[in-house]
Amino acid sequence: MSMAEGLQPDEFAATAARAVTACAGLGVREQAQNLAGDGLLGIIADEEVGGLALPLGFAVPVIAAAHSGLLGFPLLETILVGRLLQSSLTRLAAAIVSGEKLATIAWQGEAISERDGGLLLLNGSLARAPGAASVDHILVRMSGGAAALIPADAKGVVVEDAAGLDLTVPEHVVRLEKVEVPIGSILPAGTWDLLSSDANVLRAAAILGSAEACLALAQEHASTRRQFGHALSYNQAIRHALARQKLGLESIRHAITRSLSRDGGPVQRDAAFLAAVTYGSSISEGALQIHGGMGFTWDVPVHRHLRRIRTLQAQGDASGLISTFGRRYVSEVAPFAEAGA
Amino acid sequence: MSVLEAVSTQSIAGESLTGEAYRDAMHRWLHANLPASFRSDSAAFAPPTLPQSVAWEAAMYRAGLTGITWPRAYGGHGRSLREHLVANQEIGRLAMPESVNSIGKELAGPIILAVGTEEQKRRFLPAILEMRNIWCQGFSEPEAGSDLAGLRTRATRDGDGWRINGQKIWTSGAYRAQRCLVLARTGPLEDRHRGLAMFAVPLDAKGVRVRTIKSIDGRESFCEVFFDEVEIAQADAIGAPDEGWAAAIRVLEIERATNRMYRAWRFENELRHLISACKADIALSAMVEDRHYAVRLGEVAVEIEVLKAHVETAVEALASGDKIGARGSLAKLYWSESHQRFAALAIELLSQASLPQNPAIKVARRRFEAIYLAARAETIYAGTTEIQLGIIADRILQLSRGK
Repeated sequence: MSMAEGLQPDEFAATAARAVTACAGLGVREQAQNLAGDGLLGIIADEEVGGLALPLGFAVPVIAAAHSGLLGFPLLETILVGRLLQSSLTRLAAAIVSGEKLATIAWQGEAISERDGGLLLLNGSLARAPGAASVDHILVRMSGGAAALIPADAKGVVVEDAAGLDLTVPEHVVRLEKVEVPIGSILPAGTWDLLSSDANVLRAAAILGSAEACLALAQEHASTRRQFGHALSYNQAIRHALARQKLGLESIRHAITRSLSRDGGPVQRDAAFLAAVTYGSSISEGALQIHGGMGFTWDVPVHRHLRRIRTLQAQGDASGLISTFGRRYVSEVAPFAEAGA
Repeated sequence: MSVLEAVSTQSIAGESLTGEAYRDAMHRWLHANLPASFRSDSAAFAPPTLPQSVAWEAAMYRAGLTGITWPRAYGGHGRSLREHLVANQEIGRLAMPESVNSIGKELAGPIILAVGTEEQKRRFLPAILEMRNIWCQGFSEPEAGSDLAGLRTRATRDGDGWRINGQKIWTSGAYRAQRCLVLARTGPLEDRHRGLAMFAVPLDAKGVRVRTIKSIDGRESFCEVFFDEVEIAQADAIGAPDEGWAAAIRVLEIERATNRMYRAWRFENELRHLISACKADIALSAMVEDRHYAVRLGEVAVEIEVLKAHVETAVEALASGDKIGARGSLAKLYWSESHQRFAALAIELLSQASLPQNPAIKVARRRFEAIYLAARAETIYAGTTEIQLGIIADRILQLSRGK
């Protein structure tokens, strides 16, 4: 039984936008309580752990609204970890969905495991862990596409500030040195690929939210800022630049929709993320350009979105993914033969 | 014509097929009947002659692959837009020649359906689908390209009918057409969009002269059409003089979003052909595995997925009763520019093939050099890139032009 019956994903956009506004100025744990109160942390998690058991598509407008509103909370990671743990670590999943415990994911790097008698010890340096300094648990990748959930305060775990563009949910580096992990906290091989596939859809949604905000800001500025006796939008160069941004924005939106449709699969999910990175970067940089010198100031929020989009690009390893995507496409086509042309 | 002797006369349209069974039937018919010589990804490719194209498209119609959404009363198959999409996906997956009557099927036909009289619908529409009448589009003029409101071809009242004088240009396929959908002015030039009327002008009428223009692909399908005191019956006026254009614009908005719906799937066919040709060549097979070209081919594949998303979203919106409005400009802008990038990449890759060229590369070069040249027109016809950007700025973003 799913709660999806009778509900539409877009109905969650307004709820999410209100929740994001209510989170302004709050600490991370208070934000978690607020977001959990609106059911947003468990939107795709099972009802057994307090979730709403809705399909991934329902998280799309939530994530888009969170990023449009520059929410300072690792919502994408929380939503994914809550669902990921619902079968194996039910109690912890419930705590994450309720906002009692906080979690994030280290998107870059792989922990190396070694056996020490009956213990499993993890070592390694991982990075691109949004908000890791404030959370209770960190999900890390292991060899073979397995994953492990590590308590952030476990012995041997060091979370450090990292250089990174994102100001809103700063990334951290996580160093592991002989960190003892209960076998029950190891999630099986294949976990990471499934997680990444869902994450790519939600990253595309995040970029959509930021890109929408950037285009709205650029459009507002172009309509109100006057130069040479006219609003900027009087000039064809500005009009056409904004029109291209709109094309990019709708391309992201449609690609996400397709990735979640009946015909959607891993290829469509990867394509949605890759398209979002390409057009999202262009939209945010274009919005900055249209703002002129104002765009280069700290106070105009375009740069915050631009920073997040570039960070999401790196967290999803867009450069590696497009190469894999192209190679996979090439590998699936047989050499030319007349009969099979 | 012998190449088409084996084409099935079976009708899929009449069968009560739905869903995947409908798709399978379309797929099977196309694969069983498309002559190898019509396939531009085949070494046997020989561009079809006009009679061959006419016969092939008539067979496609009988099978249920054209006129899919048109009402049965006018020769159509009365199916849904979603089924139109399914059939077009299957059409796109084969390297099939473009229709010689796309103006009839995708412009004149829908306009007549929207604003034509009952008599016009019964007279013109079945003839389009059965390929008895090929149409061309007489909109652009020497002084009115993108700015159609500036057109000067004049239609004046003459008894019960009309008399047309003027000149049209960039009229693709006029030399082979029987009818031209002519946009002409009934009022003064200052009226701009008001006072424009549409006519179904028979191209064998006295006073019509067609002159071909050689285009960059070496073909002579482009034409100029001259109208010198051409008498037109009232029965060939499409829509009311002052209302026809507005109605046509509404139709054109939908057409811009839905015409040649197979494009994304055809581009995918092209991409797969390009890769398969490269993999048959020693030098190129290594190159396409290399990161540089894998990334660039991957980018093309992503753009094709996004284009599919644009098309499917438009179909779902229309099928759900939404208005498409100016959003057709988004899809047009997207496919035309992405196809140009892809075509440029294709000829760049193929130009690096090993010597002596193997047959696969010869086939691919012939196809992609033609595609590259033809694609240069894609950002010009059906509203240039600049016009589409203007439409998006004006009507979707509604940007202020105010001082």
